[in-house]
Amino acid sequence: VTYGYTLFCAGALLLTLGLEAVLRTGLLRDRRFWIAMAIVGFFQVLVDGWLTCRPIVTYAQEQFSGVRLGCPSSALFEAGGMPLEDAVFGFAMITQALLWWIWWGRRLGEQ
Amino acid sequence: MRGVGSRPRPPQTVSFLRCGWLTPAPMASFEYLLVLALCLLVTAPLELVLGVRVYRQARRLALTLLCTGAVFVTWDLVGAGLGHWEYVVGRVLPVRLLGLPLEEYLFFVVVPLCGVLAFEAVRVTLDRRQRP
Repeated sequence: VTYGYTLFCAGALLLTLGLEAVLRTGLLRDRRFWIAMAIVGFFQVLVDGWLTCRPIVTYAQEQFSGVRLGCPSSALFEAGGMPLEDAVFGFAMITQALLWWIWWGRRLGEQ
Repeated sequence: MRGVGSRPRPPQTVSFLRCGWLTPAPMASFEYLLVLALCLLVTAPLELVLGVRVYRQARRLALTLLCTGAVFVTWDLVGAGLGHWEYVVGRVLPVRLLGLPLEEYLFFVVVPLCGVLAFEAVRVTLDRRQRP
């Protein structure tokens, strides 16, 4: 099997979009969501960059696209950096968390 | 850009299959744990200074993290189990639960929490600007 991680991330994204179709929070039409995701994306590059450049976590070469963000030249870093798929995964997970945050907020009457 | 099309051989990793339910691995490192702690530290002022109410809605937060975590921890267990990714021995805590380092479980608490804090920070900031 190849491109396993690629499929996993595509699946996570579809799951999140499917969840919004069920929960109907309206989050994806909210400008504030996209601003927040731009900020989150910036910090993801730093944090995920550290995890994948050191590395702390490694990816099987045949299981992702092979496209990586790269790392600063430093003796600290021994790997190639964040796979493209990580951006999709991060977006899917944080979006899903926000969908539940809004949904539970309405349900609990807290927001 | 390094690493495109090549796979630099990282330090030793432990595969899921060679780990039991709770397996001690050689060498300890707090590096991953420190990265997560830093995420909480950097976002703490959003609650404490900006005044978003995320930690203070504990029930709502717990349910949010539970719903998201249930899906993504399962996803992580399967992916690591299939060998799609591995954790570098000596850069994570020496104790693994179902093959994953303990920090990996914390990741699914810390990262969605930081996402919620970021969203609430944007919401509070823009809403305050609209009605001062």
